[in-house]
Amino acid sequence: MTSFRRLFRARFLVITFAAVAGSSAATTDLPALWAERVKSVVAVEYVTVTETERRPTVSMGTVVDAAGTIILQSVAIDPRAALRQLKDFRVYLPGEGAGAPAEYLGQDAFTGWHFVRAGQETRARLTPVTAFAGPGEPRRPAIAEAVWGIGLRPKDEDFQPYILRSSVALLQAIPQLTAIAQQEVAAPGLPVFDLQGALVGLAGPSGGQTFLQISRTGRPVPTLLINVEESSAFLVAAEVLPHLGRIPRDPSGRPLAWLGAYGLEPMDREVAKFLNLQSQSGAVVSEVLEGSPAEAAGLKPRDIVLALNGAPLPQLKPDRAVVAFLEREVERRAPGEKFTLTVLRGTERVEIAAALGEQPKLAREAERRYFDRLGVTAREPVYADAIERRQRPGVLAGVVAHFVKAGSPAATAGLRPDDWVREIDGAEVKDFADATARLALIEADAERAEFVLLVARGNETAVLRVKLK
Amino acid sequence: MALRLLALVACVGEARAAMSRGFNRLLESVVSINVRELAFESGARRYTSSLGSGVLMSEDGVVLTNAHVVSRRAVEINVTLSNLERVGARLVGWDHWTDLAVLRLDMDEVKRRGFKLAAARFGESEKLFPGQEVYAVGTPHGLTRTVTRGIVSNPNRYFEDNRGINGYETGMFNTWLQTDAAINPGNSGGPLVTSDGRVVGISSRGYLGANNLGFAIPATTARVVLESLVRDGAVVRSYVGIVPGALQDLENFYALALNTGVLVSSVDPGSPAAKAGLRPGDILLSIDGARVDGRFPEQLPPIQNLVASRPIGSELRLAVKRGAETREFTVVTERLESRVGEEWALEKWGLSVRRVSRTYARENQLEGTDGAVVIGVQPGFPGDVAGVARGDILLKVNQQAVGSLEVLKQAHAAYEAAPAPTLLETQRNRRVSLLILKP
Repeated sequence: MTSFRRLFRARFLVITFAAVAGSSAATTDLPALWAERVKSVVAVEYVTVTETERRPTVSMGTVVDAAGTIILQSVAIDPRAALRQLKDFRVYLPGEGAGAPAEYLGQDAFTGWHFVRAGQETRARLTPVTAFAGPGEPRRPAIAEAVWGIGLRPKDEDFQPYILRSSVALLQAIPQLTAIAQQEVAAPGLPVFDLQGALVGLAGPSGGQTFLQISRTGRPVPTLLINVEESSAFLVAAEVLPHLGRIPRDPSGRPLAWLGAYGLEPMDREVAKFLNLQSQSGAVVSEVLEGSPAEAAGLKPRDIVLALNGAPLPQLKPDRAVVAFLEREVERRAPGEKFTLTVLRGTERVEIAAALGEQPKLAREAERRYFDRLGVTAREPVYADAIERRQRPGVLAGVVAHFVKAGSPAATAGLRPDDWVREIDGAEVKDFADATARLALIEADAERAEFVLLVARGNETAVLRVKLK
Repeated sequence: MALRLLALVACVGEARAAMSRGFNRLLESVVSINVRELAFESGARRYTSSLGSGVLMSEDGVVLTNAHVVSRRAVEINVTLSNLERVGARLVGWDHWTDLAVLRLDMDEVKRRGFKLAAARFGESEKLFPGQEVYAVGTPHGLTRTVTRGIVSNPNRYFEDNRGINGYETGMFNTWLQTDAAINPGNSGGPLVTSDGRVVGISSRGYLGANNLGFAIPATTARVVLESLVRDGAVVRSYVGIVPGALQDLENFYALALNTGVLVSSVDPGSPAAKAGLRPGDILLSIDGARVDGRFPEQLPPIQNLVASRPIGSELRLAVKRGAETREFTVVTERLESRVGEEWALEKWGLSVRRVSRTYARENQLEGTDGAVVIGVQPGFPGDVAGVARGDILLKVNQQAVGSLEVLKQAHAAYEAAPAPTLLETQRNRRVSLLILKP
């Protein structure tokens, strides 16, 4: 999307200047708006505790209610991290070096936002961004309209706030209505305002921009650069405000709706025309997962989804957006909810009545245990492991090597993360409990000189000999 | 005293004479080979040319060379004899597993032009010892009849390469002679000889970026493969799907006597061994009662050959130790197949494709063997415009399953005759897409 930006920049520069000059004279002064609105943004720091280290992460958050609830972008937290690995959440106010403890509330599947709640004493000093949304319909920015937002400097500069200003260059439904500004307009995760101070959106992750890297000797190499500190793309307020109340009931984010149609691929206009579907939008189902609600409802691989609850899928550009649209339609619902899909199967249209199920256990929710002397974390295999390895989910034996410590006996023997441990010392691993019991015995036995693992990696297996002495 | 000395000198003289006689004859049997080949990789039909060496093994024009010098894609082969005259030749057969190929000179042309051919003779590669002097003869970088000298560095080196011969598998069925005689590009297919001019190996490859690490296929292997290729045009091998691994020092762990059995390191999914119930981690003790010993990697090729040499469809009794018990499995062999299937270029679409082979399908856990893998895409052509990429599998064309390359060729021919939108069903990783090829 941002490859358009250069084009737009040249064209809109003049118009923007005119607009800014014209309107700023008539409205309130920006410094006053700024001083109020800075209270609606914070920096959130937390620590990911892994087998061998404590990794701090900082991301920017927006305050959404009077209870001190803060939303963070979905990328703020590694989706593979287990809940109990996430520790020491702290909220920092702009310009302040000292943070206060906060609580992690979980991730909402539909918006992708992580919710965090600031402690009692911090709350009083925060202003929810909804205070700037105004009554009535959410403000929708127009193309060429001037907008501004807030950025925060790094932690060692006490998260000093600073202003970013730009103009809307493009509005696009992908599938959420997204405004793309000419330049960076806010830190990802922070709000965007118009010149009257009304909330017009929430900055998301920045799209990359392609540059040519030219060295003295070689050919120019296209390089994608992504600004992780500031973003020029923001969801418009109408895509944000209605969902601010989606605070997870439980930090695990559950319940999570599940359909089980794997590998949805968009059907483009040419294909639609070829199949006599005129300009109909659609998505091809690559696989239907075993034991899933989709399978129970009778969805088949290669079905082309054309409509949801009788409404044809929207025409969106790029074509991929229709897949995101369908995925969001599942994520916004709760397990147990019913809907119908109209699919094209061969030449006939079939109605599929599906009831959403609950997502099977995710890798981040699986049991894990770390064996420090051996240098490996054993993880309980989950549904997705079986699917990935084309195994039947019901008959899942063995454990997954979730983490292998560099230079440890396990690493030296050639074990790698994601290897599937099938046997320990020549005997099949029945389940997670069996594997950890046996690994614990080996680890506790100071006399033990070695043990042998049979592991599967992709389509191959290998016998690994782990030397402990 | 004087007399004795003289005798000794005479003796040495005789040996030298023998060496030069044998060696000279050998030099006359070494040829250089120019090949023009079809290449499909770019999404179109292209020709490439390459150069290698070879050695005449019979007076009726049989030339032994490497499979990576002359493959089945060769469309024109020219052989330059030691008298510097060029003669046409055709491919008799090739075997990428051992990197050997056999050509036959156009004997009508040889006779018409009155050339006399000198044939080289095999030596006994199994008697070579480390440190023994050997010579490599060939055409490195096009420099004709170049002789380099070295010693046998290791007479029994094991390595396999899953994609070594232009994407084809090699090295599972033979060990290699390692030598420090300089082997450069263009030496490939030329003989490695002892000082009497006997062929003990066919020079095949050098380590890139290393010094004096050259490898040759030993004469023991070359002799057998040459015979098969001349007789049948191919080496037919049996396959059960066991990937053997050396036990090294795992005997204790498996409670085995030393020099007993070979580790089943992996079992190809869907293979006869998998169907019979063999599992990775099993220890294979014997094949049809013949005990196997796979303690070291060098010992694996003979075990592989024990299976490969059996007729296709043979029932093999495999004695296997699993845990404490020993069991017997009966496995019916299949024909060994390469992962690389037949190739073709669908030029109007700008796509080159390779048939999905049984091996490829198993390796990639595909549901069946329908389909063709895209190995090349021509930029700007309909395939590229529609979004087809290298590695995609074409499953259906106009809703007809690609059960053979013929299906694609026919659809392509129809498109060529009357260009019309054509529907492709493709698979990338596990995602299925519908795409339109537009004129």
